[in-house]
Amino acid sequence: MSLLPITLSARGVGHRFGARLLYREISFTARNSEVVAITGHNGSGKSTLLKIIAGLLQPVEGNVELQINNTLTDPAHRSQYIGFVSPEMALYQELTAVENIRFFGTLRGQHYDKAQLRAMLENVGLKGRGSDRVGDYSSGMKQRLKYLIAVMHDPEVLLLDEPGANLDVHGTKIVERMIGDRRNAGRVTILATNEPEEEHWADCSIPVAAV
Amino acid sequence: MNNQSWVQQSLALFRKDLLAETRTRVAFGAMGVFSFSALLLISLAMVGLKGVMLQNSTGQSVPAWNNSGKMSLLWVLLCFAAFAGLSHSFVYEEETGTASTLKLHMMPQAVYAGKLLFNTTVLLAVSLVITPLYMVMTGMEAGTIPMFFTVMLSGTVSLSAVATVVAALAARARSTGALFGAVGLPMLTVLLVLIMNAARQCYIRSESAVQYVRPVIGIVGFGVLIVTLSALLFHFIWED
Amino acid sequence: MSFWKIFLAVLMAYVIYGAFNIAHGAIGFAEKGVAARIIFFHVPCAVYSSVAYLVATWYAVKHLWLLGGPNKSVEALEDSDFKSATAMELGFLFCILATITGSIFAGVQWGSFWNWDPRETSIVIMLLLYASYMLLRTAFTSDTAKRARLSAVYAVIAVIPSIYLIWVVPRVLHTMHPTTTLSNPADTSLSYKLVLYPSFLAFTLLFIWLMQLRVSSSKLLEARKKRRLREMEAQR
Repeated sequence: MSLLPITLSARGVGHRFGARLLYREISFTARNSEVVAITGHNGSGKSTLLKIIAGLLQPVEGNVELQINNTLTDPAHRSQYIGFVSPEMALYQELTAVENIRFFGTLRGQHYDKAQLRAMLENVGLKGRGSDRVGDYSSGMKQRLKYLIAVMHDPEVLLLDEPGANLDVHGTKIVERMIGDRRNAGRVTILATNEPEEEHWADCSIPVAAV
Repeated sequence: MNNQSWVQQSLALFRKDLLAETRTRVAFGAMGVFSFSALLLISLAMVGLKGVMLQNSTGQSVPAWNNSGKMSLLWVLLCFAAFAGLSHSFVYEEETGTASTLKLHMMPQAVYAGKLLFNTTVLLAVSLVITPLYMVMTGMEAGTIPMFFTVMLSGTVSLSAVATVVAALAARARSTGALFGAVGLPMLTVLLVLIMNAARQCYIRSESAVQYVRPVIGIVGFGVLIVTLSALLFHFIWED
Repeated sequence: MSFWKIFLAVLMAYVIYGAFNIAHGAIGFAEKGVAARIIFFHVPCAVYSSVAYLVATWYAVKHLWLLGGPNKSVEALEDSDFKSATAMELGFLFCILATITGSIFAGVQWGSFWNWDPRETSIVIMLLLYASYMLLRTAFTSDTAKRARLSAVYAVIAVIPSIYLIWVVPRVLHTMHPTTTLSNPADTSLSYKLVLYPSFLAFTLLFIWLMQLRVSSSKLLEARKKRRLREMEAQR
């Protein structure tokens, strides 16, 4: 895969919830292979900042731009370049893992055969559990499946909200490896976290604090 | 996703909803049990009217529990059934947190189209089961057959169009369940007036086709206008 | 300045006086035509119960237009939201007044306070539409932007049933309401025109004034709520 230049830049982003001001003047730029950590205490607005980056939420002030191959992407279609793992984004409990993968794959215009599916599941340590319903999964297994679905289209930008949530030591290793792979592939990864160990995965930290 | 059209996305959502529905049967089950109970209640309540004759304004003797009345009550039943089950498809996406995942993956218009298709399918299935049962239990006749089918079909589709957009609105609020019926039923009342007016035409012999076509245009027009406005405004409902 | 408010007071007083003393008793109405005098209040109320909806829709559309536009000023968004909500509340009020005055007239004229006349049916459903709009607004307490956006969407979509109620339903069903007497000026006697037209003007001014009062009180309440939140933030 050829390495396209990726530039994700936030300029003076500020957001408020109702009348409550969350943060102001958040600016940063992330380029190929960079891993950025967004840090801040609970309720500081890390999750909303990730949503703004994904284009799911309009910021009250400032803007976020994603340039790929030096061309600006349309904010309305930005989400196709993005993978997102977040506690707020659930998968379908009544469907099996494979059905979930197929469904979200179809939405992105991708189709997988049996061998591909098996390899993807094995990659996140869910070998042989593909035809189990997600509702019967443990929370750690659900988190692994979310990782699988977030990266299966090899997104230019991966957003991770509380990356280590519900994961055991082995699961955390998988995430660490995944971030390393993405760094090698020139992709951008942004994580919102409070854990010092996870912050170590990043090249730089951006503190988010209430004004 | 660029070359992924919203038609393909909405069909994928429709298939996903159908698959989930065959597993859980929440919407169909809720509406089925609801409308069957309502059917029994109506039949029981109207037993006393069997054979009672009334004089209408022109002095003719007509049965009190007549076809027009039966048809009107069938539509009241279907309206409430729609409001018992059709909120499910939006509410569970919001409640289980899958709505945010869909927002990342889908165009809003595709979500609307998929949900509308699913709700219409479920409501058509329910009305396909309930209507013959209702006809057997109350002795309602179909009258002019083509008109009967046209009214049933256009009415069901318009009904699901209203219920779908109101469900989408109500799912974004707290105390969704209480709100859904209270916000949606006033809008449905207007549609119900139109449907009842058209249904009456099933049982009146009329020479001119206009007498049949005009009430149907009223129903179809209502549905088309609701769908158009809903599709135009859906992203305001769906996105944050 | 508020000269027009004084003018409104004089005009309204004239309408009340004129309804009983200038207009002659109309032929064909009950109680030697006295019953017909209620139309000076009933008809403007009935007209404003639908006009209010159009006003509310106008501001709802404006709100959504602003949301879709590039520069989202919080003040402009709030202004259109409050105006839309206020028009709905006034519509509800005029709807109730029109229903009550209409029912009194029906009781005197047709011998029964409720006849399921299509226009009576329409106005009751209209009342329900207003009520469900206000109900929808109560369901959003913390997030006022979401409340504004979703109620605007509801207002725009519910335009379809309202249009059907105002124009289609009364024509589909047979009505007892006189459509010609008032919509055809030639059939209306001079003494009626002398009161009815000023009455329309008076109700228009009343509507505008009520709008202004309610919108500014809503804005003040919202500003106070924001100030309190800010004070709480500062204390933390």
